[in-house]
Amino acid sequence: MDKQELINKLKVIIKPYTTNTEAYDNLTEETDFIKDLNINSANLVDIVLDIEEQFNIVIENAEMERMLDVKTAIEIIEPKLSV
Amino acid sequence: MIGNDVVDIIQSRKESNWQRRGFLNKLFTTEEQHLITNHLNNEIMVWRLWSMKEAAYKIYNRQTKIRAFIPMQLLCHIEGCYGTVTCNGHIYYTETYIDTDKIYTVATVNKRSLNDVREVEYATIVKDSNDHPFIYNSQKQIFQPVSVTHHGRYSKIAALQL
Repeated sequence: MDKQELINKLKVIIKPYTTNTEAYDNLTEETDFIKDLNINSANLVDIVLDIEEQFNIVIENAEMERMLDVKTAIEIIEPKLSV
Repeated sequence: MIGNDVVDIIQSRKESNWQRRGFLNKLFTTEEQHLITNHLNNEIMVWRLWSMKEAAYKIYNRQTKIRAFIPMQLLCHIEGCYGTVTCNGHIYYTETYIDTDKIYTVATVNKRSLNDVREVEYATIVKDSNDHPFIYNSQKQIFQPVSVTHHGRYSKIAALQL
């Protein structure tokens, strides 16, 4: 899976938790889940759980702690897919 | 220093499914999960603990400038409507107000300061470069730190009386 494909999959996952549609439509790697997409912090855990389920991977607590933007999420997910 | 967090229970039911597999495990320690399981109203305890963590995190973030999603590092203890949240050597004191469909927690760095928490009704919020909110206190002619929270139908601004 290349990076763009991964971003697209992630985009589908975060859509239901997003309230800022303009920022969502213009999503880049720099997009911040809370500051830009207005995602409720309680829903960050849903995003982590959805990622775990859909990619069949495990996100550790220390990784979840950093997962506040698209770039970091990709950095965490990507190496888990290649093993 | 002041932190606050409100949870609109009706809104939380639309946005979150706390009974979802893995949800509690990612947000709450074993001890906190016991508090939830043993409480008559599990849902209220879930959001009470969550609002304590959020209110305390707002102070932690202000003090340390560390921005992270760290629910498992914010450890709650409760005593009636009061409580403490500890995080990496920091301690925060909380008071939580529970209505039928609203949970509201305020947090301070001293227990005594909980008496000085005031709700601000109408105010223009300004933010510094760290995105931390302030209001202008025209009487004292200073910018005063506040904490801002909104969820569903509710929104609150809290400050410490000077």
